[in-house]
Amino acid sequence: MAEDLVFMMGKYEARVPTDCLYSKSHLWLRKDGLRYQVGFTAYSVRLLQDVYFLDWSVDAGAQVFAKQEIGEVESSKALSTLYAPFDGRIVEFNQLLLDDPSGINTDGYGNGWLFTFETDAEPLTPEQYVEVLEGGWQKTQNMLKGQVN
Amino acid sequence: MAGQKKLTVVISQHQGKNPVKRQLEEELAMACMMDPEIEVSIVPNLYDLSHDHSGLLFLKGIQGDVVVLSWLFPRATQWILDRTGVKGKAGTVFLVGEDDEEDEDQDEAAEKNPDAIGTLDVPNRLIYSIDLRASKDPQEFLAEIRRIVEVTSTETVDLMSWIQGEPKKEQLERYLNPQEIFGIGSSQTGSIAEVEAEEKVSRRWYPVIDYDRCTNCMECIDFCLFGVYGVDALDRILVEAQDSCKKGCPACSRVCPENAIVFPQHKTPAIAGAAGEVAGLKIDLSQLFGGGDAVEMAARERDIELLRDGRDAVGLAVGIPKRQANACGVRDELDDLIDGLDDLDL
Repeated sequence: MAEDLVFMMGKYEARVPTDCLYSKSHLWLRKDGLRYQVGFTAYSVRLLQDVYFLDWSVDAGAQVFAKQEIGEVESSKALSTLYAPFDGRIVEFNQLLLDDPSGINTDGYGNGWLFTFETDAEPLTPEQYVEVLEGGWQKTQNMLKGQVN
Repeated sequence: MAGQKKLTVVISQHQGKNPVKRQLEEELAMACMMDPEIEVSIVPNLYDLSHDHSGLLFLKGIQGDVVVLSWLFPRATQWILDRTGVKGKAGTVFLVGEDDEEDEDQDEAAEKNPDAIGTLDVPNRLIYSIDLRASKDPQEFLAEIRRIVEVTSTETVDLMSWIQGEPKKEQLERYLNPQEIFGIGSSQTGSIAEVEAEEKVSRRWYPVIDYDRCTNCMECIDFCLFGVYGVDALDRILVEAQDSCKKGCPACSRVCPENAIVFPQHKTPAIAGAAGEVAGLKIDLSQLFGGGDAVEMAARERDIELLRDGRDAVGLAVGIPKRQANACGVRDELDDLIDGLDDLDL
């Protein structure tokens, strides 16, 4: 397997595996038959830190549109609403995470997957995602600072 | 009876009729009634009380330490009371809910913003705010109340101020019209159901300012176009016209740079007054995961309310804080935070 790409968040190396595709909203999508498995990238997990609560507001099987609210995540450092990465259909949620979301932190690109997803959209390549990260890093830091007082 | 000091426990009822919540309230009230060292009263949801509600007059009349049990975050309870003139220092509570857990390890000073303007005229007494959502077990609350009884009863009572002091207006009122006062501890007559029927309380919606965070920057007064905010005689920001606020709209809370504005009934814990990381609030990463940013969201919420009032939407054109422009540059807490993370061996 090709070596992971890396994006430096300060001194932290956020891995961007090359066997996945990506969304601008910091999710990875790995092709699995007709579907994608979807999860948080190392970049987003780094900002979240320890995830301890995950909740979905749509049911498995739901048709969703890009940017539609689909759930919430809460971690030791942050909370966020979660949005659909593209137009598509959410097939199934990772039930294991609902009982214990720690898989997101321990195996974010594997057992920590969030849901399976069907979409006709074309996700970003790893290289394109790294470009998004490079372009957005300063803005992300500013956004965080805007909130932390 | 002057020598016998009782701890006052006030139970602020839930707005709804949820039987589980009602039962917890009643069990706690009954248990407290049996305790000779406790004086217990039940009032409707604190947040909904209008300024002339007898429940509030009763609260204002209490002299010593008070325990307030409510279905609100303790920070919300503390500042709702402060706004109504029921002031005191925050007593340390060990029984806290999940959303407030981090608070346990923090000392009080860490919660306060050094640039905050603080509240004024705080008497030397303690108000213990307990979140009724912290446990489902009445015994846990009773144990905590007993603990507070023990702590407070070791304090000396300053009798001279009682003997020589002038009674406050509310106290005098309470003395002259005892029958109007809420309270099941002293009269032992009216049941909880009767108390409820006496004075109708309707739900309210308005911001509550946490003066331990507020720096008087005035961004809220610039942003709100409904005249909710004003200033007092000392030019300190104040929620002047509570009921001019638009039900469900938390927009000013989103633009507050210090996260000092609490909407106790909002579904997001951070807005409802939960304690948390980084001087209080958790970081909202919704923007990162595909949502709009807080200021945009606030402007949108404000536009909806403006249109409802038959006024024109203003978008980002009016009263938007400029702080995003100078967010970088000076080294701040987040730099320390991020560097601190970098030092961790992950």
